[in-house]
Amino acid sequence: MWLTQLTCRRFRCLDEIDFTPGPGLNIIHGDNAQGKTSLLEAFLYVCTARSHRTLHERELVSHGDDGFSITAVAQRSDREVTLEAHYWQRAKRFKINGVAQTRISDILGRINTVFFSPEDVGLIKGSATQRRRFLDMEISQINPRYLVALQQYRQILKQRNSLLKQHRPDPTMLDVWDAQLVPSGETVMRERDAFVRALSVRATEAYARIAADEELALAYAPDLEDPASFAATLEQARETDIRRKQTTRGPHRDDISIVIAGKPARIFGSQGQQKSAALALKLAEIELIHDQAGEYPILMLDEVLAELDAHRAQHLFESLADKVQCLVTTTERELTEKIGGRPYRRYQMTRGRLEAQ
Amino acid sequence: MDAFRRLPGVGKRSAERLVLHLLSAPEGEAHQLSEAIATARARITTCSQCRNLTETNPCGICTDSRRDASIICVVEQPAGAMAIEKGGMYRGLYHVLHGVLNPLEGVGPTELRLERLYTRLDGGTVEEVVVATNATAEGEATALYLSRQLGQRNVRVTRIAHGVPMGSGLEFSDEATLSHAMEGRTPLG
Repeated sequence: MWLTQLTCRRFRCLDEIDFTPGPGLNIIHGDNAQGKTSLLEAFLYVCTARSHRTLHERELVSHGDDGFSITAVAQRSDREVTLEAHYWQRAKRFKINGVAQTRISDILGRINTVFFSPEDVGLIKGSATQRRRFLDMEISQINPRYLVALQQYRQILKQRNSLLKQHRPDPTMLDVWDAQLVPSGETVMRERDAFVRALSVRATEAYARIAADEELALAYAPDLEDPASFAATLEQARETDIRRKQTTRGPHRDDISIVIAGKPARIFGSQGQQKSAALALKLAEIELIHDQAGEYPILMLDEVLAELDAHRAQHLFESLADKVQCLVTTTERELTEKIGGRPYRRYQMTRGRLEAQ
Repeated sequence: MDAFRRLPGVGKRSAERLVLHLLSAPEGEAHQLSEAIATARARITTCSQCRNLTETNPCGICTDSRRDASIICVVEQPAGAMAIEKGGMYRGLYHVLHGVLNPLEGVGPTELRLERLYTRLDGGTVEEVVVATNATAEGEATALYLSRQLGQRNVRVTRIAHGVPMGSGLEFSDEATLSHAMEGRTPLG
């Protein structure tokens, strides 16, 4: 699928943008702080109802304004999809093909995107929280059921933790909230397990193409080995939970183990290995969405080119070839070597104004 | 205008319209409304037995001898009891909790005054308690809690069924409802 049109009104510093990218490689050039990342952020927001930079919509509004609106039109293999996001005086509204939507889970997956920025190396070297956020975002995109279970799990977990904060919580009350927590927690664990299994195959392949002499191995590292043991585990951990006043076991403590050449990449990986692993993860994600949705997602590369050396950059564009639409932001002027002489459309972003060149 | 905006479902625009309407309509209309609100507030209390909203205490349902006193339906809010009453098929009594268990908002068994429900069961006439709390995590937790607490007493505790709305197609139901309906399936014939 590919984005044919993106319009933004009063989104951050983007007062009025009408962006009509081509199906292949699109390069948005500009100095720092001109609005390049905001353009990608707007597209990400209209597709996922979330920003990668903030959880608060009011930060996305142009200074002094009451709201913003974003419209994205994408061409899928069999149809055209239009998504709209409107934010006005603290209320957000989403539309699919002009029809208002009440549930965020219905918006996800209409236009599939993969976002890659230099911060994604945090997936390898950062905390487990970052890897869980990655899992949650990506699985929700291709599996709306997951998002429903996840939202339930989080809500019930909050209730249970708030109960644990009370002085000597009532055991029957704990029983009751445990019974609510178990089914949604089990679903979250099973879906994560299936997703990481599929991702791992693709990531190992992708990494082998970038670094032929090393192996990348990815595995789901759940807090609980067996999802079916969740109820029993909660019961065993109850005394600890009461003492620590929080839920100590469950999928909210999950991680992904990432191993390069037999060593945990988070601790022992070199910077180069960590960058390659992050790239392999993103390439794997692209293939996985293709497997599930039957079409390639749209790839956004935010300031990534400067971080990748010519070898990795060339590899990236080779493996994407002409299959995937790419929206690339960069401050670099000389790109010929990195993109390997491929044709591209070029845009210039200056102080929130976009011009095709 | 702020007073109107505090009402549920009234936004800035609606509040503006309501205020302008009341100010431009004949004076009598505004007085009538304020009197109606004052009278309603003064007359309506919660029933000392079922805690539903009522003008008489105990309420019309609790004192109606034609109703089946062996069955009590537990609902979250008076609106739930009103909805079931509209259906007209239920002939038992009610018990209104005015909330559900919600530790985040500091609502526990004490805040729901569950002892009032237990006292009603001590009379011995009640044989069944139907829990009709909403199908939310909090509603389900409350239902399970009640079944645990009432299990020790000599009553049957049941939960209302959840599933596909009558006269509606499967394609209009969300996945959670359908999977619940599938789990709660019943034998035909």
